[in-house]
Amino acid sequence: MSRERILKELEILREGQQIAELLSAGRDYVLYRGIPAGGAHPSLPTVTDVIVPVPNGYPGAAIDLAGLPVDSAFLPRVKGGRNSQGIVQADGRTWQLASYHPHQNGGGGPWDQMKNGFHTYFDQLLSWLERLD
Amino acid sequence: MRTSAIVRCAAPEWNTLREILFSRYPELEWATFARFGWRETTDQLVVTLATIDPPSGSDLDDRVGHVAISEPYSLRMALGAEKHSLAVGVIHSHPENCPPVASAIDDDMDSYYSSYLEGFAPDRPYISLIASTVRGDLSLGGRIFWRGEWLPVQHFAVERTPSTTWASQKPVNRQGRTRERTRRLASAFGDEAADRLRRSTVAVIGAGGTGSAAIETLARAGVGKLIIVDPESIGESNLERVHGSCPDHVRDGISKVALAKEHVRAIDDSCVVQGFVGSLPQQEVVDALVTADVALGCTDQQHSRLALSDIAIRYLIPAIDCGVLLEGKDGKVTAQVIQLVRLLAADPCVLCRGMINPTQIAQELMTDDEREQRRRAAMEAESKGQDGNPYWHNLPQLNTVGYLTTMAGALAAGYVIGWLAGRFDPPFERLQMNLVASYFDVTDNEQTPRPQCSCRRIRGWADQGNVDALVTPPRHWPTARLV
Repeated sequence: MSRERILKELEILREGQQIAELLSAGRDYVLYRGIPAGGAHPSLPTVTDVIVPVPNGYPGAAIDLAGLPVDSAFLPRVKGGRNSQGIVQADGRTWQLASYHPHQNGGGGPWDQMKNGFHTYFDQLLSWLERLD
Repeated sequence: MRTSAIVRCAAPEWNTLREILFSRYPELEWATFARFGWRETTDQLVVTLATIDPPSGSDLDDRVGHVAISEPYSLRMALGAEKHSLAVGVIHSHPENCPPVASAIDDDMDSYYSSYLEGFAPDRPYISLIASTVRGDLSLGGRIFWRGEWLPVQHFAVERTPSTTWASQKPVNRQGRTRERTRRLASAFGDEAADRLRRSTVAVIGAGGTGSAAIETLARAGVGKLIIVDPESIGESNLERVHGSCPDHVRDGISKVALAKEHVRAIDDSCVVQGFVGSLPQQEVVDALVTADVALGCTDQQHSRLALSDIAIRYLIPAIDCGVLLEGKDGKVTAQVIQLVRLLAADPCVLCRGMINPTQIAQELMTDDEREQRRRAAMEAESKGQDGNPYWHNLPQLNTVGYLTTMAGALAAGYVIGWLAGRFDPPFERLQMNLVASYFDVTDNEQTPRPQCSCRRIRGWADQGNVDALVTPPRHWPTARLV
């Protein structure tokens, strides 16, 4: 993992008022706190936390997957949310990784480490949390 | 405890430097400030020339024969250092046939700048280098002030430019006598070339079919030190390709690195071998690699190729990446391709060259459990008529045969010998040849860097460019083990 690179990407988010942290919980994750979500869905919360695993070899390997708290109301409604890709413990909570693959023909374009990072993955997450079933 | 230093320089910077330093040659000296990246290994400080900040106007006093640097030039460099993360140093020339050994004036200058720059950019090395020609030889010497001590430069690695390093007031490691075993090579390239090979270190990443052929060729040519890296043990299917392997090695479960070491010892026990059971870019492996004069990439692993490209650019290590490919159709072999890719510091990186598949890298670097989980998810998706590719791509096992890998490895080793001896350069950027096509269908693919790629920006930045590292070692890998 390129810690320096990830921290730089998270700093870009912070400058845009989005808080995200690098967590080391067995493996490494980026935790995006309070992502605006569900604006068009009055029954859903207006924000949610999302966890994303740091891929082995990052940035050589593409960022993939996204996790929500196991009891999140978004989980059954986001793309891939019903297709669990694993349960992880982080930040004192239990998370379920959803089958969300924006850089694998999932709408985010092919992975380009010179353009993409955890700062641009945030844009993918916004769209993921907006387009609900 | 670091006791000495290595200085590395790429060809574009050296060409600029040479013009500046020798602009008043042969009688008068000249100088320039420069910026350097660095990396501390367990016993050495490796310093890489990143940028030259040449003098202009009255920055240097041209009325005197020695170097006299003006205060505004010094101040400009010191203030500049507050805005970048690189180390700063002074490089100057000595008159022709005056060895690159510090004079009393140089001592005063180094004492002054090591303290002066510390005030502006603390916790960075101060580098002082001297260049001259002694009896027609490019001769380089220097020292580095780091953590309160002066480290002598024990080795200069200037890309494609043979040079003699001076330390302790004399040339380092001159052999002076050609060995009988390399007499034919010496008669082809000269005694001096054989001597350079004896003083050289070559890193070979991958000790399989291609790597073992390269290792054997380099050991027989009289290369002084080999750094060999491979994570695997010899398997039965390797016997057809790996030089020096026999069924006993398979039975004993010996690592490819241990086998290579044993094989080199049998060929020439004076060749020093540093072997790692490990992979790029593990830190222990990188520590060793940055001390090499040249590196050869001999694996079909994409992460290793990406890491080698990154290291070639940031640590200024000339490298060649080798690959082979065998294709067939309707019972006929249609292609037997050898690819050699030159990776010099100023060449486009492998990302710019479109040689990298991030999906393959992701799959190479997963844990066994992750791979299994992904394969299962792909099968499940496909069983439902969905696309399994987001979970797992079934990448074909590359077919290869011993004569092809031997040819690729020996060819690449030949170009390494040419580089080290200073006698010839690879006449290609990305060579592909097909052994079963007419006239081998040789192609060379010159490519230009992508404008947004970091490879244009971080040449020679060493560890100070870590934020732009192209690939990193996964946590689950076992620590690299020195054999």
